[in-house]
Amino acid sequence: MKIFHLPDLGEGLAEAEIHEWYVKEGDVMKVDQPMVSMETAKAVVDVPAPQPGKIVKLYGKKGDIIQTHAPLVEFEGEETKQKDQGTVVGSLEESTLLLDEGDMIIGAAKKTASTIKAMPAVRALAKQMNVDLNSVSPSGPQGQITADDVKKAAGQKSKLPGNVEPLHGVRRSMAIVMTQSHQEVVPVTLIDDADVSEIKVDFSACLLQAMVVAAKAEPSLNAWYDGKNMERCLHNEVNIGLAMDTEEGLFVPVLKDVAKKTPQELRETIDEFKKSIRSRSIAPSDLQGATITLSNFGTIAGRYASPIIVPPMVAILGCGKIRDEVRVVEGKMAIRRVAPLSLTFDHRAVTGGEATRFLATVIKYLEGK
Amino acid sequence: MAEITLVEAINQALAYEMQADPDVVVLGEDIAKNGGVFRATVGLLDKFGPERVRDTPLAESMIAGLAIGMAIEGLKPVAEFQFMGFSYPALDQIINHASRIRNRTRGKMSCPVVFRTPYGSGIRAPEHHSESTETLFAHIPGLRVVMPSSPARAYGLLLAAIRDPDPVIFLEPSRLYRWAKQEVPDNGKALPLDVCFTLRVGDDVTLVTWGSLVKETLAVAEKLAKEGISAEVIDLATIKPMDMETILSSVEKTGRCVIVHEAARTCGVGAEISAQLAERGLMFLKAPVQRVTGYDTIVPYARLEKFYLPNENHIIEAVQRVMEFA
Repeated sequence: MKIFHLPDLGEGLAEAEIHEWYVKEGDVMKVDQPMVSMETAKAVVDVPAPQPGKIVKLYGKKGDIIQTHAPLVEFEGEETKQKDQGTVVGSLEESTLLLDEGDMIIGAAKKTASTIKAMPAVRALAKQMNVDLNSVSPSGPQGQITADDVKKAAGQKSKLPGNVEPLHGVRRSMAIVMTQSHQEVVPVTLIDDADVSEIKVDFSACLLQAMVVAAKAEPSLNAWYDGKNMERCLHNEVNIGLAMDTEEGLFVPVLKDVAKKTPQELRETIDEFKKSIRSRSIAPSDLQGATITLSNFGTIAGRYASPIIVPPMVAILGCGKIRDEVRVVEGKMAIRRVAPLSLTFDHRAVTGGEATRFLATVIKYLEGK
Repeated sequence: MAEITLVEAINQALAYEMQADPDVVVLGEDIAKNGGVFRATVGLLDKFGPERVRDTPLAESMIAGLAIGMAIEGLKPVAEFQFMGFSYPALDQIINHASRIRNRTRGKMSCPVVFRTPYGSGIRAPEHHSESTETLFAHIPGLRVVMPSSPARAYGLLLAAIRDPDPVIFLEPSRLYRWAKQEVPDNGKALPLDVCFTLRVGDDVTLVTWGSLVKETLAVAEKLAKEGISAEVIDLATIKPMDMETILSSVEKTGRCVIVHEAARTCGVGAEISAQLAERGLMFLKAPVQRVTGYDTIVPYARLEKFYLPNENHIIEAVQRVMEFA
């Protein structure tokens, strides 16, 4: 039997009176469940059950005086020898748990992740605008991301649903350049046809040479224009950018000083460009310095277009798909080979007259071959 | 190598240093014959004799004054208060003298005393026996406050505290006295004071805690890992002076901080950490700093004790709150 003795209910009280029993013999107790209220010289105190279990005997009834440390309640079970509890107050549970904390680092752990510096208000703003701070470049002091940085990033943020793919390389630069062109250039597109029935040689080379002739006739189209400073620069050399379609995106290699090249050389250069673009080995210098552009989109499909000028250039010639067409030749119907031409010019730098004369010269050159 | 409990580690450190340094003496109520209220000093009387292991009258102010005098005169006393709640009569001696000796004498004297006392609730003790008032001591310039949380740190930090030339308040979590055993080589190696210990490395949230609640905090970190939340656990260990660099470095990485302490909330040490994070780490914070603390009440008696002590659920809830912030 386990006997619970009346503990000292105060500081050195010798005895206490049973004020009221809350339990009776046979009751099954939980720990801390009040068993009895005891009246001492100082106060009325509830004595809780020290252990769970069935009560087999109560020592005394209401009004009885119990001496401190005298038996009060007997619980069912075997009396075990009291071991040193390791404390004189309260109870300390002895554990057999073996502590394994692993490696303890004195001081801070090494930092691995890069950190973002932003004040809470900026973080809140980023959350509100659905901006990932990892993608924002900081402009604030000590590398902090500012509210403006977040707003700027939000403006650039994709509004596309689903999986988006960021643009890289030439595709990205195309997007930038075309946007710039659209914002800046004042484009006008002229369209007309050239009768190319008589051309038996390399048509692309002929078209390039036609542009050289037209550029000599109307130099204002073989020019660069700076809209901000309102300055233009006319070129003696005709360097023709040739728009080339690839899986990676749009490449525009530059045929330098086309006037000095034979049709054979032009063809060879074009073929080399195709190869070096495919192998991504084209030199950056081969992609720079164009003074006018040719887009020979008709090799794929399409008749007319409104080609886009890449600043600072002021003109681009597009050539659509060459077709057989019934035309009037010397008062009679004839089936002719016809090349549809589209010339876009920047009306800030080029007059309509200059542009139409340019196109007329191209047509005349092609038809005169 | 012996596997020992935290209270045995305290005993082991005291015995080691008394053996190594004849200037070390221990004193306190019932610490000699009885071996101390929690048996932290058991066996020392037999080993080192009554000259160096002294029972004192029931008078904490006197214990502190005596220890301070011994320290100034060249001894290295380790005085025990039976419970933290009994240390308050000694505050006058500690605040008005121990903490100031070095300053008062312009560095000519120091006061190499250690005041040890069990702190904290969770052992079903009466009033005055469950205090966690480390913030009182941490507020006083000139006092060092150290709180171990494992047998190994209790051993290493107590050795460091005894060897330190200035007064140290050494607060031992009574709830952890016999909670677990750990291998603690008795090699006299001290751990450094004034630095935190990073007990677990993580990326998502920094949990800063000390003393009794390191146990629950580590358990929570383990649970969080299963939910995919990677928590770094820092044991502050030395409450004052506080190693903010370690905490800042961690929060710089995680951007989130939950501070866990047993002491009452208002003006608890967590408030100081939170303030310093606001002053020096604000730009790294992704979420408001959270505190998980005891309540601003007297620690209740045994029956309600478990409702007072911060538990694992409280910590998890706080972590969930900070994780809601992206």
